[in-house]
Amino acid sequence: MKQFVLTFLIALFTVGTAAHAEQTLSIIKPDAVEANHIGEIVARFEKGGLKIAAMKMTKLSQQQAQDFYAEHKERPFFADLVTFMTSGPCVVMVLDGKDAIAQNRQLMGATDYKKAEPCTIRADFACSHTKNAVHGSDSPVSAKREIAFFFTPNEIFAR
Amino acid sequence: MHERTLSIIKPDAIGKNHIGDILSRFEKAGLKIVAAKMIHLSTEQAQGFYAVHKERPFFKDLVTFMTTGPVLITVLEGHNAIAKNREVMGATDPKKAAPGTIRADFAHNIDENAVHGSDSAENAEIEISYFFKPVEIWKRTR
Repeated sequence: MKQFVLTFLIALFTVGTAAHAEQTLSIIKPDAVEANHIGEIVARFEKGGLKIAAMKMTKLSQQQAQDFYAEHKERPFFADLVTFMTSGPCVVMVLDGKDAIAQNRQLMGATDYKKAEPCTIRADFACSHTKNAVHGSDSPVSAKREIAFFFTPNEIFAR
Repeated sequence: MHERTLSIIKPDAIGKNHIGDILSRFEKAGLKIVAAKMIHLSTEQAQGFYAVHKERPFFKDLVTFMTTGPVLITVLEGHNAIAKNREVMGATDPKKAAPGTIRADFAHNIDENAVHGSDSAENAEIEISYFFKPVEIWKRTR
């Protein structure tokens, strides 16, 4: 019985720990790339305990931007968002760490930069509601889809 | 002179999570990042990249070190990019690197020295094409 309880507790601990180790997709958007803030933004992630497990600079085609933001296609800002996201290169990354999705969202700050907490990425580097410096996945389901959208498994590295 | 140069953030600096700190040094020095990708070099890729050193006593250790973890390869663009990058990196031996340079601040020793940068216009061209296709290098108008 004692042995069983111990095994059960170890299993519970392992599952609990595994649930917190996550990956999320981050995009440094064309406005922040243009402003030469790539290093500063990446440093916020690293100092926030997130490791860079994949990274590449790319420029989205019209089609890629439309597909990536497909869930917003009926929204009034969709056309502007696609135009902005294809206006220059961006840096796409996989961030790896404990509670990476929530941690990344905390480091980014609110979507509307005017509402972003002081010292968050958006408070410091965003120019407007659309040109808001960074994108981050909002759930485990989106993280999985968004990571697969940009990276093949062999482009993501164990850290 | 408007130039491009190849930069590699080596496995030691990646392991210490200094990617952002190092990229910031380049950007603050006026160098723009026009291409970037993280890869894990194979032994063949590392040997091919450092082929010029293949008779040197440190070659084997260098190849081993460069394949211990992922690296971040970037193309930096700007006025006198090759010399500027070398200035920002500091001397190859971190003990001799000027204060405030990348190697003075982030390198362990001469073997694990955080960054690589092309040493001439000719090598920059060879090294950039070793890792990037022209379509992977982006135009930075601003």
